[in-house]
Amino acid sequence: MSADQQITKKPSSIEKIFPYTSILIPGMGQILGKRLWRGIAIFILTLLLSFLVQWSLTNYEIGLVGDPEGAFFSWMWIPFLLFYIWNISDAIKLSKNKKSSPLIAVISACVILYTIGWTVTGIKLDRLVTRFDDAKTVASRLVNPDVFSTYEGDKVVMCDWNCLGEYIRAKINRTEAPAVFPSINIKQIFGQQGTVTASRWAVFFGKATLNERVPGFETGKLVETIAIGLLATLFSTVLAIPVSFFGAHNIMKRVPGGSVIYYITRAFLNIVRAVDTVVWGLIVIVWVGLGSFAGVIALTIHSIAALGKLFSEEIEHIDSGPVEAIEAAGGNFFQVIRFGVVPQVIPSFLSFTLLRWDINMRSATVIGFVAGGGIGFFVLETIRMGGYNQYAAALWAIAVVIIIVDFISSKWRANILKDQPKTVEKTPTWKKVRTAIYILLGLAIFLYFWEITKIDLKRLFDPGPTFGRLLRDFITIDVSKNVVNNVVRELIITVMQALLATTLGGILAIPFSFLAAKNLTGKSKFSSWIFYGTRAVFNVLRSIEALLYVAIFVYWVGIGPFAGMLALTITTFALLGKLFSEAIENIDPGVIEATTATGANKLQTIMYAIVPQIVPPFLSYLIYQWDINIRMATIIGFAGGGGIGLMLSTYFGSLQYHKAGTVIVAIVLIVAVMDFTSAKIREKFV
Amino acid sequence: MLKIEHLSKIYPNGTQALYDVSFEVEQGEFLAVIGLSGSGKSTLLRCINRLIEPTSGTITWNGVEITNASGKEIRMIRRQIGMIFQQFNLVKRSSVNTNVLTGRLGYVRTIPSLFHIFSKEDHARVKKTLEMVGLEDKIDVRADSLSGGQQQRVGIARALMQEPKMILADEPVASLDPVLAHSILKYLENLNKEYGITVLCSLHFLDLVHRYATRAIALKDGHLVFQGLPKEIDDVQFKEIYGKEAERIEVI
Repeated sequence: MSADQQITKKPSSIEKIFPYTSILIPGMGQILGKRLWRGIAIFILTLLLSFLVQWSLTNYEIGLVGDPEGAFFSWMWIPFLLFYIWNISDAIKLSKNKKSSPLIAVISACVILYTIGWTVTGIKLDRLVTRFDDAKTVASRLVNPDVFSTYEGDKVVMCDWNCLGEYIRAKINRTEAPAVFPSINIKQIFGQQGTVTASRWAVFFGKATLNERVPGFETGKLVETIAIGLLATLFSTVLAIPVSFFGAHNIMKRVPGGSVIYYITRAFLNIVRAVDTVVWGLIVIVWVGLGSFAGVIALTIHSIAALGKLFSEEIEHIDSGPVEAIEAAGGNFFQVIRFGVVPQVIPSFLSFTLLRWDINMRSATVIGFVAGGGIGFFVLETIRMGGYNQYAAALWAIAVVIIIVDFISSKWRANILKDQPKTVEKTPTWKKVRTAIYILLGLAIFLYFWEITKIDLKRLFDPGPTFGRLLRDFITIDVSKNVVNNVVRELIITVMQALLATTLGGILAIPFSFLAAKNLTGKSKFSSWIFYGTRAVFNVLRSIEALLYVAIFVYWVGIGPFAGMLALTITTFALLGKLFSEAIENIDPGVIEATTATGANKLQTIMYAIVPQIVPPFLSYLIYQWDINIRMATIIGFAGGGGIGLMLSTYFGSLQYHKAGTVIVAIVLIVAVMDFTSAKIREKFV
Repeated sequence: MLKIEHLSKIYPNGTQALYDVSFEVEQGEFLAVIGLSGSGKSTLLRCINRLIEPTSGTITWNGVEITNASGKEIRMIRRQIGMIFQQFNLVKRSSVNTNVLTGRLGYVRTIPSLFHIFSKEDHARVKKTLEMVGLEDKIDVRADSLSGGQQQRVGIARALMQEPKMILADEPVASLDPVLAHSILKYLENLNKEYGITVLCSLHFLDLVHRYATRAIALKDGHLVFQGLPKEIDDVQFKEIYGKEAERIEVI
């Protein structure tokens, strides 16, 4: 206290002018006043906002006032000016140790950002209404998935709900029912009897020749997807474990030169992680060609980086006590790892792997958009042919699988977290037998999946003809003015898509999250129906990737960033809804009780007991969702959702690898910058 | 005077927490409520300000029947009854200032309070009550950065903001170590003696009851099993309240 007073009492004459430096360089006064990050944030925001205002004026005529031929300017300079003035007053207030509310700054920045975002993402609300008939068409097809077929004359047609109803009524009444059988569509999704390329086992045992078509069970696209997700998780876990030790500082500092390896590993992991699985898919198909194998590789690469980071952080957070004890007992480096480190990290490694499995299964459903394997490719084909009933069947099938995976993964993780010590009793024989059966079953599934995803490790060393060129072009990326301008434009659109989707999805999620919070909905029958209903909607919507939703909105509002933004909004709404409702369930009821006991009414109780408890987690989840959406927005273009993804796939498709390289570098940069920013924001506010 | 007659409480899941409890508390008494965990102490205290709805029986306070007060009336009654909790029940992320101000919510108009607008008198009152509990320098600190004893003092300050005529304290010292327990109870004793505020306080330890309470009641499995002066609780009574296996222990 006394130290503070001394500083404030006698500012030297030079210190008096400190706050006024903000007039010349925004943020300078704050930095000199020992508010480093506030100053830096103001400085960067000023640059960014002024650039955006000018850029959007020249490129999109956003905010144009006056005659474009003669004198003109953007009205958005007014909020910018407000921001600038706020910056000065903030510096002065802070220097006098007064509180300074950032309200004006936030409002002005939001006005500029949302105005630009609204235009560049091509939001046309009228389309939501004028093309509502299209929406109805899509909706009716989505609830009528192509699952069963029937005969209409000689022709095979889809059996919709009416037809199914008739069939069931006929069966109940024991009258003659129309012929109803699984449709070709559903067979393609789940698998059917047909011809397959002879398996390598058959070739090996001389029952078939290489590439011969033999009768067999054609793998369903969904089964293929499951195989891709599972194998990628397995491979990436096995590979991430050694990598994670190189990325753990507490381990590497024990090895000579380890710190250098540590920093290189971490940087490498961060770069690989910033590139989305789907973008990796683009690169991998040049390497090993189209197919499930490419999907497995793409998922594995991204997962190694993601898991490697989590694993190495986990290793860094272990209790150093046991390590010390083993060293004291004379253990060498490897013994320390084996007995001091490994036992501590196994549960969390397993838990992260399960989480990754969940994420990989989701990625596996979309990797086919570029890599040509699994259900993603199937969905792409159905959309191209306008088969929305078939598309719907695929979506429902995906939802079921992902919900099951999500359930298993989270239950298993909860069990691991409980971490109950095993009882000392001997394991009964039946448990041993059960374990053995599980292992054999697992092995069989593994071999089957290996076969159907056509894993061929030799292909890794025999890359496609243009792969060498791709690597060369990636190093000499194209930074000519034209390309950079285009990349910047698409990048701004992409970020704005993420911004609008996060905002919109978040706003929509708030009211619904209250309905999905058990402690608020109460115990009456009606309200528990609301609770389960809302939760179910969240879970179903959440199980499908944004990329798969794009087709719906493309049909509704047309190809472009608007459709992509809406698709992102749906996934945002579902995930945030779930997370928000969990945050509401976690509030401390004691505080509500205490506030009620003072005689406060309902509104006051909400404001003073509930709101302060849910705002921090809500903010934290919003930032988390923002990180996800930035990544998703970079790939949403692959399905017609606009943004930088479309550009990337065009460059790849036309083999313009050095331009594609520019785009990827831009994506890595923007993702890294956004990650850093949100980490800083979280540190400050949450 | 607080008068409780034939109070019973059955929870929706069928457990009966209170069986026909009747007793009286004079204005200015320091009444200790003792009993084992789960004996119904918390339920009893919460029935008095109707945080829990009693199943049957009446509670009258200074001639007003609490048990059939309407929504607005009960809030008027609640604001005259301060409550202190075992887990302090502060909004952990809010400042001490905000937490203490919540004690005024029953008095101020709703709309301004939603925008966190309070009168000058209320702000002055915060300063005064925080001085009373010795936390005047912590006014802008976040509640979760305080120690347990300090948090409970904030809890007392919040109750004092209500200018209460009665304080209900639900195991106010059960989460604190013995030294802090005495300091908190001394605050309550002081309020009781100096301002004549009635205190109903549930306590675990018998010697705290001997030291602070003017009168005591004991609950066992929801039944009122003792009513009288603290010193009247002899070994026989003690075994009856706490069970045959119980041993007396002492805190500092």
